[in-house]
Order: sequence, then C-alpha cells, then structure tokens
Amino acid sequence: MILKYIILFLLALTFANAEAYVSQDMINNVAKKYNKFAENRFINMEHKLEGLQDKTTIIKLNTVNTFFNQVNYKSDMENYNMADYWATPWEFLARDAGDCEDYVIAKYFALKYLGIDPKQMYFTYVKSTQFKEAHMVLTYFETPTSEPLVLDNNNRFVLPASKRVDLTPVYNFNGDVLSASAKKANQKTTQKWDDLILNIKKGKI
Amino acid sequence: MTLFKQLSILVTLLLLSIFATVLGVNFQNSAKSVQDQLYTDAKNTATSLSLSLASANGNISMISTMINANFDNGTYQSISLVDMNGQVLYERHSERKIADVPKWFVKYIPIKAPIAAANVSAGWNPIGLLNVQCDTATAYLHLYTILYSLTISFSVIFIISLILLYILLIMLLKPLKNIRLQAEAISNNKFIIQEKLPYTQDFKEVVQVMNIMVKKVEDIFNHANETLRHQSELLYKDEATGLYNKKYLLNKLPEYLKVDAQIPDGICMMIALSGGAEANQALGRELVDKLYVDITTMLRRQAKDFNNSLVVRMNGTEFFLLLPECSEENALSLANYMDHGSTILLSKDLDEKVTFLSFGVYKYHHTQSVKQVISASDYALAQAKLIPHKERVYLHKTVSNDEIMGKEEWRKLIKFALDHNTIHFDTYKVLNIKSGELVHNVLSIALLSESQKYSYGHFIAPAISLGLDIQIHKKAVEKLLKEPPFELKGTICSLRLSEHYLDNPATYNGLKSLFEKYAKNLSFKLIIELPDIVLAKNSKQLQVFKELFENYNIQIGIFEFIGEPRDYNYLKELRPAYIKAEVNYFLSQTSENISSLQVAANSIGIDLIATSVMELEALGTLKARKINMIQGRATEMLG
Repeated sequence: MILKYIILFLLALTFANAEAYVSQDMINNVAKKYNKFAENRFINMEHKLEGLQDKTTIIKLNTVNTFFNQVNYKSDMENYNMADYWATPWEFLARDAGDCEDYVIAKYFALKYLGIDPKQMYFTYVKSTQFKEAHMVLTYFETPTSEPLVLDNNNRFVLPASKRVDLTPVYNFNGDVLSASAKKANQKTTQKWDDLILNIKKGKI
Repeated sequence: MTLFKQLSILVTLLLLSIFATVLGVNFQNSAKSVQDQLYTDAKNTATSLSLSLASANGNISMISTMINANFDNGTYQSISLVDMNGQVLYERHSERKIADVPKWFVKYIPIKAPIAAANVSAGWNPIGLLNVQCDTATAYLHLYTILYSLTISFSVIFIISLILLYILLIMLLKPLKNIRLQAEAISNNKFIIQEKLPYTQDFKEVVQVMNIMVKKVEDIFNHANETLRHQSELLYKDEATGLYNKKYLLNKLPEYLKVDAQIPDGICMMIALSGGAEANQALGRELVDKLYVDITTMLRRQAKDFNNSLVVRMNGTEFFLLLPECSEENALSLANYMDHGSTILLSKDLDEKVTFLSFGVYKYHHTQSVKQVISASDYALAQAKLIPHKERVYLHKTVSNDEIMGKEEWRKLIKFALDHNTIHFDTYKVLNIKSGELVHNVLSIALLSESQKYSYGHFIAPAISLGLDIQIHKKAVEKLLKEPPFELKGTICSLRLSEHYLDNPATYNGLKSLFEKYAKNLSFKLIIELPDIVLAKNSKQLQVFKELFENYNIQIGIFEFIGEPRDYNYLKELRPAYIKAEVNYFLSQTSENISSLQVAANSIGIDLIATSVMELEALGTLKARKINMIQGRATEMLG
C-alpha cells in the first residue's frame, strides 16, 4: 500500500505538467467498484503510457498493442450480456476482458493520447480466414496511401497488412474523421461511435 | 364589460395560447423528427453505399456508376465522394423543385437536410469520404401534411374545448347573472329576493346580504305603507259612522271638478240634522249616535246606485252626498224619499218641529271650483233649513253656464286640428325649489285653429261630450313620438293620458305599434302621467302598459294623488317616477302623514311633486315638509 502511494507520488512529480490519461479519481473509483488488481492495471497503464510520451511511433504502436493484448478475450454476451457493445477503454481494462472491438478502441484512444494523429488510424472490419469469423483490427497508416500496420489482439506483433494474409479487409471506419465532417452540419456520426464518445466523457468504468 | 365577457376573453386567449404552444411544440417535434429521419436515411445510405464502393477497389468510373445508380433510384439532394485530401472525386446534385407545398411554408419553415458521411475504402486503404444528403421535397410535403392535420385536429379540439368551457362558465356564472339582475332591480327600487342560493360560497354570501338588504327596504316600505294607510284613515274618516270627512271631500272634489272629467255634472246634496242637542236631551247620547249611524246607512244605500258617488260627514250634524250624473229631478225625488224615510228614523219622542232633516240640493258642473260648489251647497242647505214645514228640500238652481261656442263649432275646430295635424304642446315646468333645477317639462295638449290656440282646459270638455277626446289623445301621442318638438331634445317630459283613453280597447295596440315605430330612439325621456285612482284600482291591468312603457324606457307618473286610506302596494308594483298631488293636499296633511308617504316613496325611489302651486307663500311650508318639487304658476315667478 505504501509502495503504491510512493509510485503515485513519484508519477505525480514526474508528470506534474502533463495531463494524465486517467485521473486519480477514476483510479479510486475503479478500486472501489472492482478490486485492487483492476486498480493496479490502471496504475500500470498510466505508468506505461507516460513512459511512451517521447518514444517513436513504432515503439508506441508495439507497446500499446502488447499492453492491451494482455487483457483476456471475452464475448460481449458473456461480458455485458449484450450481442454487441463497444466498451470504453476503462471498462475494458477494469474488467480485464473484452472482444475485438474493445481491444481496437482501447488501443486507438491510448495511441491518440500518445499523440498519434487519429486520421492515421482506422477501425478496420476484416474477415479472419483463420477463425472464419468477422473480426476488427486497428490499422495505422503512415500516409493515406501507404500500407497500413495492423494491431490485432490475435497477434502479438504489429505487422504490415501484406503480412497478414489471414485477414481480408472489408471496411475502414474512423469516428473522429466522420465527426469532423458531421460537426460542420451539427449532426451525429454513428450511433455506436457517439455512444462510445459519450460513455468516455462520462468516465464510464 | 361584464365579468362573463372578461372571463370569456381570458379563457379564449388562454386556450388559444395553450393550443398554439402545443401545436408549435408538436410541429417542432415533428420537424425535428423529420430531420432526424432525413439524417438516418442519409446515414444508412452512406454506410451501405460506401461498403458497396469498397468492392470497386478505387476504380472511379465504377464508383461513379454505383453512385449514379443509387442517386437516380432514390430521393437525394446530393451524393459526393471526397478523397483523403478533401478533393471532390465525384458528385451528383439534384435541382428538384418542392411541389404540392405552399411557398410560404417553404419560406418560413426552413428544413436543412443533414449530410451523413461514411468512410470509403479500397482494400486496406481508405480512399475518402462519401457524403449523402437526402431530398427535402418529400420532407416538406410530409411536414406540411403533419401541420395541416395538426391544425385541423387542434382547431376541432379548440372549438370543442371552447364550447365546453363556455358552458362551464355559464353554469358557474349563472348565479352572478342573477346577482346582476338583483342589483339592477335594487337600483330600480324593485324588491327581488333570490330564494335559491348559489352553490359557490362567495356568490352565496353576496346573495344573502342582498336578500337581507332587499328585505329591509321592503319592510321599510311595508311599514310606511301601513302607517300611511292608518294615518289617512285617522285623517279622512269619521270614527262614529266610518264615513269620509270634510277634509277628504275638499281633497277629493277636484277629481270631479276638472276640465277633462268624464262625468261633467251631478248633484251635491247637503243633509243636516237640526235639533241635535234637543235630541240628546230627549233620547240620550247613545241613541242619537245610533241615529247618525242610521242616517249614514240610509245615505249610503241611496248613493250606491250612482257610480263614483260620495257620502261625507261634514261635521257633527251635516252630511254631504255627491251623486255624479244625477239630474235635478232625480235628486229632488231622492231627497223627498229620504225626507219621508227620516220620519221613521226619527223617534216619536222627538219634536218634529225641532228635530228634523234638511236637504240642500245643488247641481254642480265640472268647470266649477271646489269653493263654488261647497258654497252653493251650503246655501242650498241654509235655504232648506228655512222651510218651515215638512219636506225641507231646497234646490239651488245652477246659473246657466252657456258655452261661448256651440257643439258644432267645437266639432269643426277639433276635426280641423285632427285632419290638419295642428296639435300643439304647451309646456309647463316642474322645478326643484331647493336647487332651482328643472325637474321635467309637463306637456299639455293644445289645438291650433286657423286663428287661435285652444288650451287643454278649453277644448277637452267639448271634446269629451263630442266623443273626440280619444282621437285627440291618440293623435297627440303620435305627433309627440313622430315629430317631437326640437326644443324637447335631451329633456324629460311628462304627458297626461286620460282614463278614458286608456280604457279604450284599441289604445294598447295603438300605443304598441306607435312605440315600435318611433319610440326606440326618442330624443327625450318620456313619462306618461296617469291618475292615481286609475293606478290604484287597475294596477294589475295597467301592468301590461307598464311593461310596454318599460320596453321603451318610458316611465309612469302619478297625478291627482290625495292619499286615500288604502293599501299602497300598487306603488311597489308599478314603480312610478313620481307622485303629483295638489299643493292643498301637502298642506292639509299631518306631518306624520307626509312623513310616512315620504318614507314609502323614498324606499322605492319615487319623487313627490306638489301641483297647482300658485303662490310663493306656500313654498316655505312645502320646504319645511321636504316637498321640494313644484308645478304651477309659482314656477313662473321663480323664473
């Protein structure tokens, strides 16, 4: 317990000027709602992300991919008793479980926090030839026309799309890009994206 | 403005604002819903089309074909594909006009179709954004239909609500209407008591208070009425015989001696018992008193055969018999008959040379004064008493009162006036001696011949004897209503109508049709004067006249009031504007009597006016008796 407060104190001193990915209040709430392990996962994530601030993009991609791939896979039906639910990164990490969309969401917002331009990242609907099922991965495009890097919860490595012959791309989605367009007309983006953004703003855990 | 009108306006405005608000909110929600639907449709199209476009693998010609197919088979305002750098790769835009919707609707209800976007990919790579905007024409039509339906349904609900609220309001305010009627009745000095109390507590209390107030005023009137009747009896009646006394006769005689008296002449018979003191000694007071009662009974029996006859006890030993329409011959035979009868009444114990009845007979004419008639009757009695033997009956011959003009001349003159409509109105003032203000003008009918004017006093007696008085009254009323003299504009005027005219069966309908034609917008306020005796005896029958007059804001006035000992409830029923009585009446009454009359009159808003006030000397006494309105020559002296 004492160690935890020492770490938090050191973190606070180190990044006094930087805005934290998760607030102390949220960590406290997670501890209250879930357990000490969940709290530790959040402290660990905060520590990990703060350590990546000055790293290269590829390190950020790899570290974030590896960190969130440690979370256990669980279907939405098992996890939330719903057919399809886009969980916030906090729900995902607190429960230590999620499905492919939840991995993508968690990675997307962590990388966005680390300074990666959202326009370079897409939620890509793919067909997994290995598992014969619909799947979602996060793709990173250095330029709009360059070959994307694929962040997949089923693969611990971040690989170029050409190396992922087991995946067939179907559709790319980027809520932030659509939001920028929709905001001009004061409209919504998509139901799922809008609900997700709302839940993140509320700090739903 | 009545409370009902105010509440009606308030309720209408309230309902209108509620319905307008609800209609507005409903319409706004519908408009928002339509816009949301436009976005949902656009979003669904964008997503499904972008998925389809992914299969084109970035081939622009294929993409444009797919967009065209979608655009042409749907209702879109625009579909465009923009690359990752914001450059438009392909675009379709519709210039479709909005039909079946009024221009004002499009002008004032702006609908902006939202643009929905979706990412478009080619393989792993995103190639751009697909923007879809649905067509607003359908939305406008849909929205206009909604507005139309909402307006119709809200209007129907509004009207129904309004009707229901009005009915409720009428039910709630019904007691208030009754209160208003009661208040109006109070201001018109009418006694209406609301038996059914309203349910609403506030109204109930008001009605209770008003009922108490009305009851109190009514009690005041009833008490004054009773007192007046009692006082009049004391003042006018002889206690021993129950006959009217001399005071009554002096006040009553002008009724018989007026220019328009329907019965122009009759007999005055003075009867006196001589030797009363001797009779008292011989028989004792009780028997003599009985003798007077027997004489009274005899006189009454004889008088009852004559209409409007009068039996009066002038003093302890003298009686007065007034027999209208009785001839001298009949009077003499009646007097002789009574003289014979008196021998039975007078006891054999009395000396017939000392105790006897004398009969002075005099034929009066309605043009004579009270003084003349009384003096002549006294003279006849004095002469009768001088007759030394039985049958002490003396006829004092009337001095012939030949008319200056013959009947035919009068007929010609009256016919001329009727045919040439030369009826004229003389005006006399009624003044308030306290304030000096004019109370009203008395209109008196006059006839104009080619060379002369004949006043009412001149022509009415011959007119009555010629049977033309009704026609004159009819013509006069018609002229007054049809061609009112200009100088009467804005004034209050009274016009006397005779009993004979009112009794005529055609009078009511004649007046009614005249009023319908001319009395709706009279330039002056009219008061119809009627004799007190007519009102007192025929108050029920006159109620129809009263109602007819009221419809045209015409009031009733009373004249020839002498305060007969009777029930004055007819005043309450007919509500005259004023009571006119000869100045002598007011001067001869006891102050208690005048006071009772004033209380009764004030309680129902009736003014008291003294007529025939000839001398200014009388004004002091009138003022002291609080009679402040006068009519007569004195008004000219007051200026």
